[in-house]
Amino acid sequence: MCDCDGCEQMMQPYLDKALTEAQRLEAEAHLDDCSYCRKRYRFEETLRVYVRQAAVEEPMPPELKERLAALRTPLI
Amino acid sequence: MSDTGSDTAARRVAAEARDRVRFEEDALALSDQVFRVARHMVGSREEAEDLVQETYARAFRSWRTFQPGTNLRAWLLRILTNLNIDRGRKQQRTPETQPLEEGDYFLYNRLEEAAGDGGVGGEERVIERLSQDDIVNALAAVPHDFRDVIVLVDLGDFSYQDAAQILDIPIGTVMSRLHRGRRVLKRELAETALEAD
Repeated sequence: MCDCDGCEQMMQPYLDKALTEAQRLEAEAHLDDCSYCRKRYRFEETLRVYVRQAAVEEPMPPELKERLAALRTPLI
Repeated sequence: MSDTGSDTAARRVAAEARDRVRFEEDALALSDQVFRVARHMVGSREEAEDLVQETYARAFRSWRTFQPGTNLRAWLLRILTNLNIDRGRKQQRTPETQPLEEGDYFLYNRLEEAAGDGGVGGEERVIERLSQDDIVNALAAVPHDFRDVIVLVDLGDFSYQDAAQILDIPIGTVMSRLHRGRRVLKRELAETALEAD
């Protein structure tokens, strides 16, 4: 099983689902066992959701949608 | 031309028109997602709108070069990225060589320190106080080479591989920029969150 430094290294790829199966199991075993890293994992997960929600809340202006539709090739 | 020959030609023209209409509809259905990526790749909303419009104009002109069955969203964003570079966005100072002192747990540790003995979850409460503007501004403060990969992977849900193709950089560069970009973002957020505390 990895230590806290190893877990920190794996944290972002773990959240990206980019670890190998063996690495994922290693990270999960550490997280099950270590409240220090588990708290940080939960925080990282929440932070991503926050960033994502904040960043996608600005909707596309409807006028732009119309301008894009107007770029279509006219049907003859 | 014989009747059979002209029938064949007419069918070909009709089939092409159908393919084009389908392509245009599929591309337009992705416009919200394309705009969202553009909005965070460039500095202002107006710039993002222009860039998206230019992207669609080019995509509709060169629709025949799109291979059906491949990732249309990635194809559109590849056009957008190239146009953004053509528009004169300067190549950034080699960000890979910038020193980066903080680890991945940096933001949590800072917030935990600031929360003191505020009990379990004190740091989450601090982050909850960050407004949408704080987060958008922190993201905007991340150097664009880093920000582009964050926007594609974290906001656009692209895989490392897709992001590498869109940005025309090796996958290892996507991973290192993502790694560093997220740390820079956390540093920016820590400054804002601790100022607000």
